[in-house]
Amino acid sequence: MTGRQGDRARLLRWYPPAWRERYGEEMLALIEDEIGAGEAGLRLRLSLVGHGLAERARGAGVVGPSASRDADLRRGALLVLAAWCSFMVAGAGYAKAAEHFDAAVPVGLHPLPQVAYDVVAAFGALGGVLVLVGAVVAGPGFLRMLRAGAWPRLRRHVLRASVVSGFAAVLVVPLALWAHHLSDHQRNGGSVLYGAAFLAWAALGVASLVLWTAVAVAVGRRVELSARALRAEAGLAVGLAAAMVVVTVASVVWWAGMAVYAPSFLTGQQGGTASAVFDLPLIVAVGLMVCGLALSSVGVRRIVRA
Amino acid sequence: MAQKRPTLRRQNDPPVLILTSLADGPKHGHALIKDVAAFAGVTLGPGALYGAIARLEEEGLIEPLAPVDRRRPYRITAAGSAALAEVARELHTVSTVAAARLGLSLGAAG
Repeated sequence: MTGRQGDRARLLRWYPPAWRERYGEEMLALIEDEIGAGEAGLRLRLSLVGHGLAERARGAGVVGPSASRDADLRRGALLVLAAWCSFMVAGAGYAKAAEHFDAAVPVGLHPLPQVAYDVVAAFGALGGVLVLVGAVVAGPGFLRMLRAGAWPRLRRHVLRASVVSGFAAVLVVPLALWAHHLSDHQRNGGSVLYGAAFLAWAALGVASLVLWTAVAVAVGRRVELSARALRAEAGLAVGLAAAMVVVTVASVVWWAGMAVYAPSFLTGQQGGTASAVFDLPLIVAVGLMVCGLALSSVGVRRIVRA
Repeated sequence: MAQKRPTLRRQNDPPVLILTSLADGPKHGHALIKDVAAFAGVTLGPGALYGAIARLEEEGLIEPLAPVDRRRPYRITAAGSAALAEVARELHTVSTVAAARLGLSLGAAG
């Protein structure tokens, strides 16, 4: 393969491997017809990135039209599961941002933040339980799938997720030992080195979560489920989406409550004002929740239409 | 398991444009892009074209022929012709009503 051919082939790297195998060669011939020996322009490159990612999402079974009602139920449920992944990441960010907030707001005087926090925790836990029940419902089908020889198709996903989570699990030990020797101030932004190490570990944690979700989606796409089990999964997905709505609303209420009753907790400064509480980690956490809600609403719409 | 209708929608949807182009004979990607640009004034990029080709093939509305020098032609199937005919009838009904209400004369298609 010449340098130019290699460059052209790399244009299609955003597409799923199976798609490239089927359409890659003729698509490269088309690109050759369209632009000749010239360089691929930015517009073409961006268009191929967009369409390639769309094909990946379609290939993963989370978007695109379905051939049947059952396929719509399945895809809707998987879309809600992917949204839950975004919520787990958001939840971790929210939990970190809300750490020890109760010391800043006397519950007897202003109960709103504590009530909102309890609602977030309760519905977050309920979401986790719904996901576990979904896994149990799919369990027998998953075992049948493995017995039928599906492991080679899942192996790459599982190994990738295992390696990344293994790294995250191993690295947490030295990180915790290091944190033990630091002051509160150093642990919360005072030490740049510790901050960078924590962020790297958090990124591994997020990657691990995303990869395990990819495993679940890969299994969910292929596992054979009875009509009853599929309806149960769809019902659980709708319940999970509802829990996500409650968690998002309660998080915003908590944020507003803290902004009114204890702005200094959010700003990290004594005498902060309610207008200075646009705390970046909270913005990211709630932003992820909103993205998750948007994704789950697409899934629920698919389920309801089916 | 109930099957859904093919996902053809508006006249400018790439699948409708591709089926229209293939209605007068098989074509490969580059010929499709040139033909669609000529009759509809729409320039399909490689990503949009192959996204639509993949969907149409999946739904059995077109089928691939043997490749010629890396370029694979596609032809419309009987199901594709039926789906395109349905779209053409729907578009004709809407355009006829629109023209009548606006007092326009559409004339013969060229």
